[in-house]
Amino acid sequence: MANDKRGNKKSIGWFCSYVPEEMIIAAGFEPVRLKGEMEKVKAADSYLFSNICPYVKNILESGLSNKFGNVEGIIFSNSCDGMRRLYDLWTQYVQTPFTYMLEIPKNRDEHGIKYLAAQFFDLKTRLEEAFDIEISNDHLSKAISFMNDRRTMVMDLFESQKEIPSRHQGSELLALCMEEATCPKEETTERIKNISGQSSASKHSQQKLPRIAVMGNLVDNPILFSMVESAGASVVFFDTCNGLIHYTNPVENGSDPIESLARRYLLKPPCVRMPGFGKRIERLEQLIEDYSIEGIIYNNLKFCDYSLFEAPQVEGFLRKSSFPFLVLENDYLWGDVERIRTRVEAFLEVVKDEFE
Amino acid sequence: MMRSHYQKAAAFMEQKLEQRPRGFDLFLKELFAMNVRAFQEDVKTVYVSGYAFPVELLRAFDVVLFDFEIACNNLPAATSGNGSSIMVTSENQGYSRDICSFHRLAIGCQLQGMLPKGDLYITSSYYCNGKAKTNEILANSERKESVLFDVPNEISDSSVQYVASQLKEIASRLETITGKKLDMDRLREAMQLSNKARSSLKDMHELMKTRPCPWDGATACLLELGGAMFWGTPVREEINQLLIREMKDRIKSGKLFPENHRVLWFPWVPVQTTNTFKILKENRVNIVMSEVARVWWSELDENRPFEALALKALQNLHVGAAEERVRSLMALTEEYNVDGAIHFSTPACYHETASFRLISDTLKGKGLSVLDLDGDMTDERNYSPERTLTKLMPFLDILASRDVGDNG
Repeated sequence: MANDKRGNKKSIGWFCSYVPEEMIIAAGFEPVRLKGEMEKVKAADSYLFSNICPYVKNILESGLSNKFGNVEGIIFSNSCDGMRRLYDLWTQYVQTPFTYMLEIPKNRDEHGIKYLAAQFFDLKTRLEEAFDIEISNDHLSKAISFMNDRRTMVMDLFESQKEIPSRHQGSELLALCMEEATCPKEETTERIKNISGQSSASKHSQQKLPRIAVMGNLVDNPILFSMVESAGASVVFFDTCNGLIHYTNPVENGSDPIESLARRYLLKPPCVRMPGFGKRIERLEQLIEDYSIEGIIYNNLKFCDYSLFEAPQVEGFLRKSSFPFLVLENDYLWGDVERIRTRVEAFLEVVKDEFE
Repeated sequence: MMRSHYQKAAAFMEQKLEQRPRGFDLFLKELFAMNVRAFQEDVKTVYVSGYAFPVELLRAFDVVLFDFEIACNNLPAATSGNGSSIMVTSENQGYSRDICSFHRLAIGCQLQGMLPKGDLYITSSYYCNGKAKTNEILANSERKESVLFDVPNEISDSSVQYVASQLKEIASRLETITGKKLDMDRLREAMQLSNKARSSLKDMHELMKTRPCPWDGATACLLELGGAMFWGTPVREEINQLLIREMKDRIKSGKLFPENHRVLWFPWVPVQTTNTFKILKENRVNIVMSEVARVWWSELDENRPFEALALKALQNLHVGAAEERVRSLMALTEEYNVDGAIHFSTPACYHETASFRLISDTLKGKGLSVLDLDGDMTDERNYSPERTLTKLMPFLDILASRDVGDNG
């Protein structure tokens, strides 16, 4: 039933890495990660104050401009203050046939897992009611296996980045991750397989370049990566909610698929919304070692409270070992790209000095 | 510095109360005295906010409560319009000015060594992203554990159980910290006291419906933010009863502020001195109620204490969809018969300001004048008296023109 008139699979949109794509697949829909589609934000400015997250604002503008008219539904999540209010505005001023607000607990313990499982069960029920379908455990188990395979393929790519020189350009990996999340799954499987099957380093990566990691919040625009690469360094990985964090840890397919999903999603490496600066810094420390990283760029969307509080903690930690660290802020559209380029190039000069 | 300030302030209020017992003064004295006690080495101090956590649970233990937002923002620097002199300490450590001024100020106080040492740091997930992170930073600075009281945005059996389970864990932590088991009778007693004060608060609010209004809605907001720390104690009822008596006396004697117009205020009140309230008074505009002051929770069921306290958290006015907030604001405008509403927006309060359009559209749809008054709760660099005046005057003109329309 979830096909359009041309026989293409209908899709359901999502924003946050904690939304279980498996549930959408099990419901017979194509999960599509939605991103801001506007080059300018105008109408949304009259709905949201100027200092609200530019990503949230761009999404709202995209909705008001009917850029997401092709999705049957959207699953929002209580990722942050901005996103929960986006849902309020969406249901009032945009409207989509099916919308759902998924609560994501912040406590990564058994109580949190139990509550998230209840939320996933509620989502399943709501999808069944809205689209007159049944989502069986068998559907869910198959979707879990399918997504686990994809995660493994993408994680293999990230794993290969530990090689020196790393096998792929960061911009290439970012493009692939974006494609994986935003395009029909079947269409992208072959491409992921082809890239992960490459047995040797690509031509570009033959030379040893300073190894940079990008962290922070969402980065769905390749501009920063291209900037780093054209300045003679390499983005080895990006530990963001659309990068390494999103693909780490498969779902353990247990007797209760919903509980298995909840366990995986809540216990995957925490994103910046979760409490525990210490845990994220411990992870960063390990990643720096595993991937032989020589500099960190902390990329922050403007007005993101989570990152604004986290960046000084990370900086404080890295400062102890004089590890090169750069905090950047962007307005999602990267309007001040030349100013950012100057800072990135200056930072990379410092990294290169230590590299040589 | 913080300790000595609150010692002096508590002593001053004590003296004032001896001369004339008044409800708001009693609240201030108790708050200041509690802030002083938080520094004592022989007590167990719990960082928490009364408006964001069901403190009745904590009242069942021998602990002193400390709200870092309220304590830091009532320091002389912050209230007199020099809060930035402390904030720069945190800004120099990399905390952006896009972060809420309340939190930059609190981190600044911590960096300057002004805060008491906490034994447990609790905050809730809904007030707000920034507060949760600040709480963690303050706890880390003392190498103590921070607890995020995670309250979902929906009320269901599973969310009540999820929140109740966290309360039980917090109780267990407190047992370890205090070395005493939770006394369920004491918890029930705290809940009874809370219910009693909730009832008298509703009586206070009934009196505020009188025309002219016998009290000030902005002060009522401040009482609810700080006074929420006293839910579950006899002093909260004492404060309420004094205020009820004062209001009744004012109504009886006719000694009330002249009132040409009635407005609703939402959500927060600036801590720093501003010209806003003076201008409103000069124009005979009374703030008759504020959103935060309203009673938004049900009576606590003492027979199911953890579930009842969980429900109180889930019913908080800033939990859940904005639609619910819109509904309750609409109800307030009708109950208090207001002519308009003033929204005071402080820059980084994202969860709140992002609801403004929805609220404003609904209130305007009912024919009410709505003003968005931008400023800052405590960072004087974001406040301008001239801008406030420029924004207030057209609003006051609109209120005045309603008279002409009504009479004509």
